[in-house]
Amino acid sequence: MTKTGQKAPRPPEAAEKGGVSRRQFLAGVGGLGVGALLGGSLAALALPDSVYAVPASQGYLLVDTKKCGGCESCMLTCSLVHTGKENLALSRIQVAKSALAGFPQDSAQYQCRQCPYPECVEACPTGAMHADEATGVRTVDEGKCIGCQRCISACPFTPSRVQWNFEERHAQKCDLCKNTPYWNREGGPGGTQACVAVCPMKAISFTAELPVQSDEGYEENMRNIHWSNLSFPIDDAGKVSAETYMRAKAAKPAGEDASTDSGKMA
Amino acid sequence: MADRAYGYAGKILVLNLEDESYETVDTDPYVGEWVGGHGLASRLFWEYCEDKTVDALDDRNVIVIASNPFAGTIVPAGGGRVEVTGLGPFSYPEWYSRSSVGGRLGGSMKNAGYDAVVVRGTAPRRVWVNVVNGDVTYCDAEDLWGKDSWETQEAIWDRVTNNTPLGEWFDLPGNRESGRSTSRPAVFAIGQAGENLVRSATITHDASHVSGQSGFGAVFGAKNLKALSFMGTKSIDIADPARLVELRLEIQEKLGYKVDDPVNEAPVPQAVPLYSSLLHNPGGGTVGQTIGRPDGCQGCYRNCRAIYRDRMGNQSTCNAAAYYTASGKREDQKRCNSLLNQLGLDGYETDMPVYLYNLYKMGVMGKGKEIDTDLPFENYNKYQFIDTLLHRIANREEIGEDLAEGLVRATMKWGRWDEDSKGLLRRPNWGYPEHYDPRLEVEWSYGSIFTERDINEHGINWCVHHSALVPMMFGQEPFLPADKLVEQVAKGTGLEDPLCFDYSEKGIYSDEKVRAVSWHRHYGRFWIQSMGLCDWMWPSLVNFTNMTDTDYAGVSPAFEVELFKAVTGRDDFTYEKSLELGHKQLLLDRAIWVLQGREPETEQLADYVFELPTDTPYQLPVYENGTWSYSDCLGRTLDRGRFKDVQQRFYASEGWNERGYPKREVLEQFGLADVADALDAAGKGA
Repeated sequence: MTKTGQKAPRPPEAAEKGGVSRRQFLAGVGGLGVGALLGGSLAALALPDSVYAVPASQGYLLVDTKKCGGCESCMLTCSLVHTGKENLALSRIQVAKSALAGFPQDSAQYQCRQCPYPECVEACPTGAMHADEATGVRTVDEGKCIGCQRCISACPFTPSRVQWNFEERHAQKCDLCKNTPYWNREGGPGGTQACVAVCPMKAISFTAELPVQSDEGYEENMRNIHWSNLSFPIDDAGKVSAETYMRAKAAKPAGEDASTDSGKMA
Repeated sequence: MADRAYGYAGKILVLNLEDESYETVDTDPYVGEWVGGHGLASRLFWEYCEDKTVDALDDRNVIVIASNPFAGTIVPAGGGRVEVTGLGPFSYPEWYSRSSVGGRLGGSMKNAGYDAVVVRGTAPRRVWVNVVNGDVTYCDAEDLWGKDSWETQEAIWDRVTNNTPLGEWFDLPGNRESGRSTSRPAVFAIGQAGENLVRSATITHDASHVSGQSGFGAVFGAKNLKALSFMGTKSIDIADPARLVELRLEIQEKLGYKVDDPVNEAPVPQAVPLYSSLLHNPGGGTVGQTIGRPDGCQGCYRNCRAIYRDRMGNQSTCNAAAYYTASGKREDQKRCNSLLNQLGLDGYETDMPVYLYNLYKMGVMGKGKEIDTDLPFENYNKYQFIDTLLHRIANREEIGEDLAEGLVRATMKWGRWDEDSKGLLRRPNWGYPEHYDPRLEVEWSYGSIFTERDINEHGINWCVHHSALVPMMFGQEPFLPADKLVEQVAKGTGLEDPLCFDYSEKGIYSDEKVRAVSWHRHYGRFWIQSMGLCDWMWPSLVNFTNMTDTDYAGVSPAFEVELFKAVTGRDDFTYEKSLELGHKQLLLDRAIWVLQGREPETEQLADYVFELPTDTPYQLPVYENGTWSYSDCLGRTLDRGRFKDVQQRFYASEGWNERGYPKREVLEQFGLADVADALDAAGKGA
């Protein structure tokens, strides 16, 4: 089980030796079919010089896809703190949900990965889409956006993590709450992110380290023993009944250690 | 801000099914006094239903589906609900009635452009109505007729989004300024039961969010309306976004279940869903061990439902989740819950398997018996029985033809009502099943019989009943001593007087109790039914979730008002004003019931309430001999004479005369002179 904030594993040996082309690199982080594991230190080490100028983001959002309760509170809050309005379509984190499907296909969460090599930034002809100098967060200078939407098309993920703000007519994307005019808290790396703060399931967290990731997204498990007390699975894949864990923590015969961490009783 | 009030879409959609036309009207004139949800719906019903005395399935009946300012926001346990009103076919007799629905319907309606939808007339063909970013299209539903509510929703999702897979952006029609969405349309659809005009038919949204009580699914069916679908990308303006976020976080911190490190955990995980409900567990409605996740209505901070691996039982909760237990298999229990929702049957109103089985065992019902049916009673403990029963009701097949009329009408037809209603069949008010004991928990029974249906509001109930009973089932002490509990409940309601929550023989007839019943109706009308706050969470009287010995207060009544101000910007709004508006709604509703024929004599609880003493321990706080304690309340009945006295005192407290007719002077005080005129015209002025 990966703990929030835990440092990601070292990258594969081959990648560390350098000589990785930009396309190869993108294949690893862009959801294009390789599924390589990448660590936070790799971005600076492995990229060709021409790309090195894009600093790594100082933060990333992690989502435990099996822990999400589908309430869309993150989306509503994202929209609210950025625009002052409630609108799922203006949320920079998206939760696609079908209540008529079975777990875990019923719901998927899509957050910007703050790519080490951000194609959205490269695609922008005006510099509107850029990496913030202070934090490395990939974000939009709305005044420079000409509405060409190349950044949206360039995002290698589906659904695109870059969006067209159809009310204000500019591109937008997750800025880790660096610029939230309708919130009184400090955001960005080092600050608070609205979706993290509001998620009642604690299924979203912030990390300063580039997370372990694959084509499927980040592999996060934020469910502890208390989650199994709610009768939900806590294994990584979400395939093992909570009953298994409950049996494990049931009172053992004399002479054996009783399992702990059973929580307080009401 | 835009050209509409904060929290609103700004428009109301009026569907004229007869000629498949529609019109829109501004919400603004309704905002000040009718606000949203039930208030808005009742006023629209008053204006658009020209003859309020017709039968529920008459094409002159009008259904109103009304959202509210909290819908589609992060107001905790309040962002997902809508209210549905109209003449309902389930109750006996039929009344102007209501139901509320959770999920994501309320927000989706507003994102699609409308605060409310008024449905008038009957369509000349079978239709569903597609609402996308303000545009309205009548679509042929011939090929959807006969499909269950889940199949219907999935078909409409594909049609509206042009088969866009889940997880891809769907570009809404128009240009790029129309926006994109990854959401499915919010669809409100009937199943076979609604099509076949079954009186307990629901309208289903997503897996298990239904307009349950009142039988509005049958009204959709009678109107040839298979479904409404809402999709949109329109924003909802919020008056003070930063304040709303902080309120949400503050309430969540204070009341929310700490999933990673709970303050209080149930002693046996999920063994008793009621325990989970007190603690506000995520997935509190979860049926047994599961491979799945919690699931919540839009903007909720609890997520009390669940999604399962095989989708059976998805989003089930409360009574419907436990509807079928005879086989002893949880998988059957979940499957049955989904079957109810797919067919579009209300699990509460069709709560009859045990009674039918009793008739079978008594030799009254069965093949060749007095009540002749080949229902497979020999397989009562197998899923086949419930599957057969529910399909027959939904399709009006065989014995289902009788049962589709509701159990009260069926037993009257069979000549069994007079005998069975004395105890075998407990239907205390208007044909609804006993929810909580009407002889003891009288906010519930008085509230139900003085209005239109089983009230189904748990705010007081969790505190006064479950917080004592449920821990005792585990050999634990009640969450709070009785005196502390009633003191806190009195404070949280704003009533301040603990005697309002005295359930002793004396207390249930007291003036303080009448005051509590009145408060309950007004609070419920405004905050639960008009603002869409979830009755499983609001009013927030006692904080069981994070309770300590010294800190156990909920957040009511202050936070409701603060949330209201943050969303709407109505900074002069007060708690007293909210209760006044709730009272106003009840006056209007009462006038409609009076027009329909409501008299004091019709407000009669079933005989067993007065004649059959309680025989099961039922914990409630009582004030006896100068001391507060919890009582088992055994051997209790209601007294007919004292009940009538309560009835008259309640009438007086509401501004109704001795016949229960709203008085003109009171109506005029509330700006309802037109209502008084209508009562006068019907010869029922007061």
